[in-house]
Amino acid sequence: MLSLQHVTKLYGTVIGVNDVSAELDQGAHGLLGPNGAGKTTLLGLITGQLRPTIGSVRVFGEAPFGNRRILARIGYCPAADITERNATPQEWVTYLMRLSGFDTAEAPRRAARALEEVGLGEACVRPLSTLSKGMRQRAKLAGAFAHEPDLLVLDEPFDGLDPIARHDLVNLVRTWAQTRSLLVASHLLHEVEALRADLAVILGGRLVANGSASEIRELVDALPTTITFKTPSVNNLAQIVCAAGAVETLHIPDVNTVVVGTRQVSHLTAAVAKAVHEGLVVREVIAEDRTLEGIFSRLVKLHRGVEQ
Amino acid sequence: MNDSSRMATPRDQQQNCSSEENRFAAIRAVASFQLSRLMTRPRLAMGLAGAIFPAAVMFAVTRTAPIDRNMTVVMIYALIPEALCVLGLLVTMCPVVADELERGTWIHIAVRPGGRQSLLLGTFAAAVLWTGTVAFTALILTLLVAQPTQPLGLVVMFTILIGLSCIGRAALFALPAVILPKRALIASVGVALIVEYFAGLLPAVVNQITVSLRLRSLLVEWMEWRRELPIEMTLFVDDYSAPVQIIAVCILVFVLLATAGFILNHRQFPPSVEN
Repeated sequence: MLSLQHVTKLYGTVIGVNDVSAELDQGAHGLLGPNGAGKTTLLGLITGQLRPTIGSVRVFGEAPFGNRRILARIGYCPAADITERNATPQEWVTYLMRLSGFDTAEAPRRAARALEEVGLGEACVRPLSTLSKGMRQRAKLAGAFAHEPDLLVLDEPFDGLDPIARHDLVNLVRTWAQTRSLLVASHLLHEVEALRADLAVILGGRLVANGSASEIRELVDALPTTITFKTPSVNNLAQIVCAAGAVETLHIPDVNTVVVGTRQVSHLTAAVAKAVHEGLVVREVIAEDRTLEGIFSRLVKLHRGVEQ
Repeated sequence: MNDSSRMATPRDQQQNCSSEENRFAAIRAVASFQLSRLMTRPRLAMGLAGAIFPAAVMFAVTRTAPIDRNMTVVMIYALIPEALCVLGLLVTMCPVVADELERGTWIHIAVRPGGRQSLLLGTFAAAVLWTGTVAFTALILTLLVAQPTQPLGLVVMFTILIGLSCIGRAALFALPAVILPKRALIASVGVALIVEYFAGLLPAVVNQITVSLRLRSLLVEWMEWRRELPIEMTLFVDDYSAPVQIIAVCILVFVLLATAGFILNHRQFPPSVEN
């Protein structure tokens, strides 16, 4: 469905996307990365707004830039807010449908149906400027799928939504992904995990990991985990963890701190727990951040060769 | 959304219409959307002021001293097809891309098949309609104030001049609007001054590519002023017949819009500009 071959996008001297190669089959895919990682640029390349400086982008086998056939098969919901003042969601989505080639009778029908599906209700006849961000987000989403594209591309689609709306729209998008293709960019791992999508992690314009959620976690889990212990008996603790035989790195940055790198967290913590039971004082244990930011951080280090 | 069989495949429906029909429908959609944007109170007030302004000037002049028919025609020409049309088009045509970037709607349009060209041509149509309507209203009001002899002939002549001025200048302003969207107004004012009012008055080949030369020449031709013109003034008008002048404007419009369309189709805005 989607093929990226050594894609690089430069804005003058600024790199938006750096040598990205990936093959994505039909199905649901998540593009994860912190702000400024290059997600929106990559989506711009896929949705035909941008042309790669180097490399090639193929969607359904063809380059999307300026390609009417391919653009008709793509639906895109950008992250940027709509600040159109006077138009109502119904007018706005109808306008988009007419730009997609539907006639004056079919376009409003499709718009109304899509707005109903995103649950905008009576708000679809109020001006966009009077709606909350969450409601405008729903209107954007309706505009992206009302023409029933084969590939739906969503950039931070659940941003600004309340938990109930988020739950509803996650279900809606997940249902969509059962029959068609979906590409969702987000900086929140749980959003993409909720869609049961495969993951691609982008950092600094580079694709640093690609696979299912469990594969990404396994990749990170395979790296040594860093655990920091705060104790007045650093020498005793260092002896205990070394004796446990689960240590890959050990660092004593100050008289009260021991930093241990290990791949066998449970083995190490069991040894420390036993020592604490026998009288060793440990005031604080800080495990490495296993949230998305932590994973990002680790992937960045791995990517830069800081960690082995 | 999950049950794709409940309705005909949208692409089937899209493809049922011919590509040309789709394009025309999209252009009409943009034009009506842009016109709805112009139907705000400030814009309507601006349009009304523009329609009244030439009549007010004419009223002030005729109250001071009576003027003959020729002078009335010259004043109407300077005030409406030259000044009012240019000002109206600066307001309506220049923001063709900048407005979309500012409102966050550019991406939505750029990812639609033919969205970019429809945006350009639809905005062009809306700008011409809006400015043309304001200019035509101004013409009627001004003629009512001036009360020249044979007003019907003047209405027909100036309607054609207004139409040509609108399509010619709108196409001209489309270029800076797509090349420098964020500075389109300044660039278009520069283009108007340099191309239309400076190069257009140069007695050289360069004035052949200006709308102002064509409009002046048509005015002189239709008012039958050519024989009465002082020899030095003949340098500022063209000798070709009226149909040739009209065809020249149409060719100019086609070339300018095709160039602007080509540029817009290849424009790329980084996400930071869009946001």
